[in-house]
Amino acid sequence: MAGDVGSIPELDQKKYDSDEQVKIICLGDSAVGKSKLMERFLMDEYRPQQLSTYALTLYKHTATVGNKTVAIDFWDTAGQERFQSMHPSYYHKAHACIMVFDVQRKVTYKNLASWYKELREYRPEIPCCVVANKIDADLKVTQRSFNFGKKQGLPFYFVSAADGTNVVKMFREMIKRAVDYKQNPSDFMDEVLQELENFDLEKKEDNSEADEVGLKAESPESV
Amino acid sequence: MSFEAKRCGVQFSPPAIVLIYEHKETKHVRKRIIPVRNFSKYSDYSMAAERLKNHTRHRDYLEGVSQSQLEKLHIILRDHMQGLSLEHSLASFRLDPDEDLNKLDDKELARKKGQMDELFEKNRRQKDDPDFVYDLEKDFTKPTQEKCSWDDVSDDGF
Repeated sequence: MAGDVGSIPELDQKKYDSDEQVKIICLGDSAVGKSKLMERFLMDEYRPQQLSTYALTLYKHTATVGNKTVAIDFWDTAGQERFQSMHPSYYHKAHACIMVFDVQRKVTYKNLASWYKELREYRPEIPCCVVANKIDADLKVTQRSFNFGKKQGLPFYFVSAADGTNVVKMFREMIKRAVDYKQNPSDFMDEVLQELENFDLEKKEDNSEADEVGLKAESPESV
Repeated sequence: MSFEAKRCGVQFSPPAIVLIYEHKETKHVRKRIIPVRNFSKYSDYSMAAERLKNHTRHRDYLEGVSQSQLEKLHIILRDHMQGLSLEHSLASFRLDPDEDLNKLDDKELARKKGQMDELFEKNRRQKDDPDFVYDLEKDFTKPTQEKCSWDDVSDDGF
């Protein structure tokens, strides 16, 4: 059922339902600099937890948004194709997504389309942004406009994990948007899942009912 | 005493790192052959490179040679011990901007990342640098931006 989506035994993803727990995922091809961006943002706070079986690195961070303290888990994911089967667990319960490409490699920009398509299959509404990394390699790229983000209405950032340009700004804005989204979720599936979970609690013993609910979850349009 | 590394390479037999350097005071250019010992086709290249870089007898000479270059030379050496050609080793480092790195395995990917790290380290601003700014912001929005050639009209979703 819904609870099994991308289950990772070592990680309890239920905690992301609580108000002060936020999950932000970092997507993009191999070697676009996702980990380096995380490290640049977190600096001394940087103490990752590696789950190599799932090609996943978790970074914990605490931030104050408004007058609230929130605990953020950044999910730094692997771009390699052989980890494709892990993707559902990456997306599961995510509150925001940072999509990264490498300005020196066109293929990483082109692949944004498939990353984004997959993201929207699982999380149709969560805030997302497009990050053009490695601008230090050639500052001229910042004179060009990359239209992928624009067409999708996504904020766009020129950044460099090496010299630090706009890294902190980008992360702070995304944390803010993740928290805003969390307080006011617009994902239809979120609500459906929440209802299903409540429903589950009430009707745990009744198996036939639960099956029916499972079917509904697979085709939300018919509800 | 200080030395300026000019070129650094590898010798297969016997296994060694070869360094051409200039003695800064005398301006003499010399060649130093540093034997690579206890290194087999199963050895960890990054540990071996680190060991060499910190070696009491060689570290002054190797100061100007980056860790990643030493790693690369050890990889070439190990590839050779495994019977792989020099051509193969060099190709594995080469960065092709159109290559989809998502298809590589961990080892192949590490080589490409090692290559990219050279530029990263060169441009890196660290916390201890005098001009370091944690929250560095630059505004790149311009009224007229060139259209990016990476955006083709024909592409769906772009």
